[in-house]
Amino acid sequence: MEPLTSFFAVSVILLGIGIYGLTTKRNAIRILFSVELIYNAANLNIIAFARLRNPPIVTGQVLVLFTIALAAMEASVGLAIIMLVSRLNVDIDLRKLTRLRG
Amino acid sequence: MTDLTFLALATVTVASSILALEARDLVYGAAALGIAFLGMAGLFFLLDASYVAAFQIAVYIGAVVVLILFTVMLVGPQLGEPPLELKRLSLLAAILLSLLLGTAGAVSSASAFPGPDNCGSGCDLVGLSNALINQYGVQLEFLSLVLAAAVIGALTLAKTETKAE
Repeated sequence: MEPLTSFFAVSVILLGIGIYGLTTKRNAIRILFSVELIYNAANLNIIAFARLRNPPIVTGQVLVLFTIALAAMEASVGLAIIMLVSRLNVDIDLRKLTRLRG
Repeated sequence: MTDLTFLALATVTVASSILALEARDLVYGAAALGIAFLGMAGLFFLLDASYVAAFQIAVYIGAVVVLILFTVMLVGPQLGEPPLELKRLSLLAAILLSLLLGTAGAVSSASAFPGPDNCGSGCDLVGLSNALINQYGVQLEFLSLVLAAAVIGALTLAKTETKAE
């Protein structure tokens, strides 16, 4: 089996890509992509660390199932907000978006 | 064998997640994000978490990517981004897909690599479902409540907007 450190390396690379997108992109949907990538990096990290124990424990997998469900919720609410903002004829450039005051 | 599988999956995941952020057209970006999620599911499979891999495919590709595609379709024209050249992109997509399919074939012939250490009782589905129901039952119920609240919130957000129009 592949040593677990390579899984950690993939996780770190994905986290880096996610942070890069989070800091440089301006489109709200792209920023949502970056957040999903960071979620995935965290999930991979949790699963790999749960596999590290001998014998492996299932708690990590349960935790990742919860995380995936939470990420799906976050995506649904975020996309609803993006649709709302775009219907109000505002640009979805997050750097310019200051109109969500009531 | 596993090394090759892991390398291919890692390459597919990292490359398509970069593509998801850098593709000009958001539709192609969403498709690349879906491929990245598929590669991630393959990595979970390599880590003996097959149920999580199936859950990842069902939730991320079945729900999140489709939701993103719908939003891009509804919001799309205001973005004003020119689409990426199709020639380069289709070449890239072909390479990614062939890598992914080859990996899937290698994974599905599981007898090719039995793996040195067997996961044993820590990774089987019975243990996972026992832990999920008996040990984390309350948390699961709370999670479903939060999910319902999130769906109601998203519906409310999408509905108030039509009234304001």
